[in-house]
Amino acid sequence: MATLETDVLVVGGGSTGAGVARDAAMRGFATVLVERSDLATGTTGRFHGLLHSGGRYAVKDPVAARECVVENAVLRRIATDCIEDTGGFFVTTPWDDPEFGDAFLDGCRATGVPVEEVSVADVLRREPRLDPGITRAFEVPDGAIDPWKLVSANARSAADHGAQILPYHRVDGLELRGDRVIGARVVDELTGDDVRIHSRIVVNAAGAWAEQIAELAGCRVTVLPGKGIMIAMNHRLVNTVVNRCKPPSDGDIIVPIRTVSVIGTTDVRVADPDELEVTEAEVEEMLDEGEKLVPGFRRARALRVWAGARPLFASDEVTDTREVSRTHAVLDHAARDGVEGFVSITGGKTTTYRLMAEHAVDTVCAKLGVDRPTRTHEEPLPGSENGRFYTLGSRLRAREPVPGSEEIICECELITRERLLEAIAQRHPSSIDDIRRVLRLGMGPCQGGFCIYRATGILHGFEQLDEQAANSALLDFLRERWKGVQPILHGDQFRQARLDDWIFQGLLDVQHLPE
Amino acid sequence: MTEPVRASLDHCVKCTICETFCPYARVTPLFPGPKYVGPQAERYRTGGASPDASVDYCSGCGICTNVCPQGVKIAEINSRARAQLWEERGVPLRNQLIARPSLLGRLGTPVAPLANWTLRNRPLRWIGERTLGVHRKGAVPRFAGRTFQRWARKHVSPPAERTVVYFHNCGTNYYEPSVGRMVVDVLEHNGFHVVVPPQDCCGLPLLSNGNFAAARAYVRRLVANLAPYAREGLPIVANSTSCGLMLKREAREILDVEDEDAVAVSEVMYDLCEFLLLLHEQGELRTDFRPLELTVPYHAPCQQQGHGIGKPALDLFALVPRLQAIELDTDCCGIAGTYGIKKEKYEIGMAVGERLFGLLRESDAEIAACDSETCRWQIEHGSGVHAVHPVEVLHRAYGLQAA
Amino acid sequence: MTAAGWRAARVEPAAYDTVVIGAGLAGLTAALRLAEAGQRVAVLAKGVGATHLSPATIDVLGYEDGVVASPAQALPGFASAHPEHPYGRLSVDVIRAALDWFRERLEGHGYRGGLDENMLVPTAVGAAKPTALVPETMAAADLRRGGRFVFVGLRGLKDFYPAYLAGNVTRAQLPGRGSVAARALELAPTLGVQRDLGSLGFAQRFEDAGFRASVVADLRPRLVTGEVVGFPAVLGVGRAREVCQELEARLDHPVFEVPTLPPSIQGQRVFETMTGGLRRAGGRLVVGSAVGEVRTSNGRVEAVLTETAGRPIAYRAGSFVLATGGFASGGLELDASGRISETVFDLPLSGVPAPNEPRLAREYFDDQPISRAGIAVDEKMRAVNGDSEPVYENLHVAGATLAGAVPWREASGNGISLSSGYAAAEAILEVAS
Repeated sequence: MATLETDVLVVGGGSTGAGVARDAAMRGFATVLVERSDLATGTTGRFHGLLHSGGRYAVKDPVAARECVVENAVLRRIATDCIEDTGGFFVTTPWDDPEFGDAFLDGCRATGVPVEEVSVADVLRREPRLDPGITRAFEVPDGAIDPWKLVSANARSAADHGAQILPYHRVDGLELRGDRVIGARVVDELTGDDVRIHSRIVVNAAGAWAEQIAELAGCRVTVLPGKGIMIAMNHRLVNTVVNRCKPPSDGDIIVPIRTVSVIGTTDVRVADPDELEVTEAEVEEMLDEGEKLVPGFRRARALRVWAGARPLFASDEVTDTREVSRTHAVLDHAARDGVEGFVSITGGKTTTYRLMAEHAVDTVCAKLGVDRPTRTHEEPLPGSENGRFYTLGSRLRAREPVPGSEEIICECELITRERLLEAIAQRHPSSIDDIRRVLRLGMGPCQGGFCIYRATGILHGFEQLDEQAANSALLDFLRERWKGVQPILHGDQFRQARLDDWIFQGLLDVQHLPE
Repeated sequence: MTEPVRASLDHCVKCTICETFCPYARVTPLFPGPKYVGPQAERYRTGGASPDASVDYCSGCGICTNVCPQGVKIAEINSRARAQLWEERGVPLRNQLIARPSLLGRLGTPVAPLANWTLRNRPLRWIGERTLGVHRKGAVPRFAGRTFQRWARKHVSPPAERTVVYFHNCGTNYYEPSVGRMVVDVLEHNGFHVVVPPQDCCGLPLLSNGNFAAARAYVRRLVANLAPYAREGLPIVANSTSCGLMLKREAREILDVEDEDAVAVSEVMYDLCEFLLLLHEQGELRTDFRPLELTVPYHAPCQQQGHGIGKPALDLFALVPRLQAIELDTDCCGIAGTYGIKKEKYEIGMAVGERLFGLLRESDAEIAACDSETCRWQIEHGSGVHAVHPVEVLHRAYGLQAA
Repeated sequence: MTAAGWRAARVEPAAYDTVVIGAGLAGLTAALRLAEAGQRVAVLAKGVGATHLSPATIDVLGYEDGVVASPAQALPGFASAHPEHPYGRLSVDVIRAALDWFRERLEGHGYRGGLDENMLVPTAVGAAKPTALVPETMAAADLRRGGRFVFVGLRGLKDFYPAYLAGNVTRAQLPGRGSVAARALELAPTLGVQRDLGSLGFAQRFEDAGFRASVVADLRPRLVTGEVVGFPAVLGVGRAREVCQELEARLDHPVFEVPTLPPSIQGQRVFETMTGGLRRAGGRLVVGSAVGEVRTSNGRVEAVLTETAGRPIAYRAGSFVLATGGFASGGLELDASGRISETVFDLPLSGVPAPNEPRLAREYFDDQPISRAGIAVDEKMRAVNGDSEPVYENLHVAGATLAGAVPWREASGNGISLSSGYAAAEAILEVAS
């Protein structure tokens, strides 16, 4: 069995974990990060991509609001390549109390959220799809942030500073000597091999799974997974983040991110963050709420629906997860549970990931008796050095002036053959799902109807797969994709699904591929 | 009116049918095809800086929208994207000029012989290509010298039981007034009192060149003149099938001009052949045609297909004894309004039209028929065969005197 | 006539004998059959249809609990086991007549095969798919003959992967434990600047003699004796048969096409032949005209109105054929509240799950409850209601709009379209005479 020696072992490859790995590595610690699946497949990869201005917390959670204000500005400096500067509106619809707008303004001013009341006419001019019955509108610096890019950039930065990033390494158990955690036993999911990692400190950044990891050391962390569903609509119904100006509730935000608009979200306490069911009732609710912001929402095309689990930390028992504070907590288990060498970070949200990571590594420093301040807020992430925000049209512009000069494999997402081969070469994926997450292959409106056959053929050739493996990759993709679309399949999207059925089952006859 | 243009992109299932029928994507890699530029790229446009200049290579022929089985308004999406592009860049002088045929008409008519000589002088056309960007070989018409309106003002249309309003368009007015006279003759022959109201350009070339503001101004002035007749319930006929479509649909759908005047006019706007065929189907068209020993290949302009009325010219030709009308199986002639005379697009247009030109050259036809004037000029340029509006054939068959 | 009188009259053009709604295989079959019998026919289509998405093969019945070896033998049993299926209304004789008619009308395509035996042809992933009728360009594709195959890819054509295809074909289960050996080759023809050509671009290249010559020169020395050569279905646009024959002669090997992702050049060829025939027979095709309103009275359809520029146009006819396709074409619709409807006439539906039952299964490859929804018909292909009575005396239905079939799983799509379109036309001709 292989053994790795390190100072800091980070468990969890979401925004928090990657942020911790970066911060620790930048402060000079030998760092290893392990993640059971691919990076950003937990909560970070499943939320709507909102870069908070803080407006959503300005009234009910001033602490969270202030944090967002600071971190929003920081990320707009260091993570420009991951952020689209969409701006944000808070609008009072006919279903909302106009007086809340005053409380909203007061709250923003008190917490430092940059806010301005703007004319409804102006907002409707900029966003013509919004309900013309809007009575008030406020502008804030919300943005859209790409979680995969963010996590990936943090991981790269960590690696640049000497860290080892190990996706597909699942923690099987934590090793204790007496009452001290000295490391972890980890399984390499791709090879099946065991790896033993010795560390001075283990940082549990497993988000919604933090409780399960803590249990491996006999520690107690109460995480309340708060399930939220989100629906991606086929095109950007709005180009600005639009929030309902009311106390936070279900379905009160539409985020334009890449080529889609995402409506979210719900908040249902669940027991297991791996069991996230999307119910018809939730879907109906989202469509109804969407209709209040954008008339005609129900008739617009829904691409797919998914659920994520917020990692809400509660020190006491709380049933309605919305009431739990959104700020985070760094738990030193030496104090809590009498176990040394083990720290958990839980709660929080992606917008404040860097701050969470800073606090976690501050605690690590204190425990290891060193004083090394963070620089993560100063140094731009890899890819963001030029300080330019991401713009949606960039992928399109990149293919001019002769658009026919390269082969496009996934037309909806403008993925060229070169790009696909690059991703395959880097990751040697065994499933198309891995490529899908990284490149967004097959995540456009055609849901893979045209590109997945091509991708399978290319994968088969490039990776020298045998036909069985290629067939499985293709069939698995179809099964997985169905799960994401089936709950919202109606209208245009159902028409697309039928055409795709015709292509895969009728034309290609995939279900009769040889076993 | 109908579904908003951008929202229609939701219907796209990437079936590739539009790409298969696009005559322009077939001949140039500079235009990635209607599916790419329309519903696909539109998802990447935020109304901010235009990310794709290649949208300018869409000709606006509209074949894609016609063949789309799902109802995506592809050509209309492209049209708006192009307008966004030109709004950012500023419409160049060339496009401003050629998009204003009535302005050019007014400038050139008083000096018609000189203007025509200039347009046919090779060295001057060379200079024109260098300075303005109009290809030296681009198909341009001849100024007639005397406008159709001048004739119409003097012409007294005999009173009749029924009245029809004639929208003649810039092409007829400045370049082909004889066609306008034939239209009036044919309508009067069929018992209509013909009214020719004061009128100017419909703004279609401005729309195609992305200057929506100017296009709207022209359209509104035009429908203001025509609307009073529309409200009386009088039909309005247009011999230029593309200008007729502009008032029937494109002004409303692409420019969002939904004023009462525009709506009223669009509801009574008829393509000339459409109107004549409707008369016939009600038993009201005079069929006293003399036999014409002619073979006439017929090319339906893309915009004519956009009316969704089939090919009424062919049904009318079928009424003329001995006349052999041949339905050409062709899509686009390549002129697409002002597209095909532009320096950077001329070769593309000629490649698009090559099949049509080849068929005409091979046929022994003396004349070809086509309902759009710019297409006729392109057809003559590309094939050498003289092209006429279908009404000219009917006029001859009726034995009406040339005015 | 006063101006007001004129306005009222203007939306009523003359009547047709039959108006067909939909320009897919079913609609074009019905229209062509009627036009050549002397009827005045108009085909109204929202756009160009499913022909451009499908291969040119006629799949009559490929799968019923396993591969069907002979549709002629399997059909009677299939029909009695599935009376609600379109084949429950179409006798083997009618299906056979439809196939014969189709073969004759598309003589230039050289169709082979028939109802008695299914061939097994490779799909673009290398599954062995049963089909009854194939154009000549696919005659050599029958895997049942065994032997050796070589699949030829074209660099720059992203819709064809010969190595993957060949690997699967080698493992295909063939009747009588037969097997084939298959390998792959790639040609790299010069393309110039445009590298993302697509099937249509390559098909146009194959129309050029010089291009074909270079393909032959490149390929010939690499072939092994006795191999059958499979290309992607891009062997020319309109002259595919000639192109195929030329390649065969110059390569001295049998040659065939494998249909791949849309655009289907094969389908385009069928469309062009059928619409050409329709034109020559005096039929009228209006593309880009969706039917909006319909006018009915006394149990008959009087007219349908198309939504066109400016104002609707009414088409009156003695008979109407609804061939608008299924969900994929928009002939049937599933809305956000789970309601299913037929989009032109709002006809009563058959095979629909109850309102509180799921429309879709959780697993992709399971049977999807909504799949069989559609319009049920009587023996004259007329739409019927829940009491099996015709909804309208003169409204017939053909193609994927029909209830009871899951064509992409049964391998029956074009077979249903062709035979139901043919049967609808025959029923109308019978009434007319």
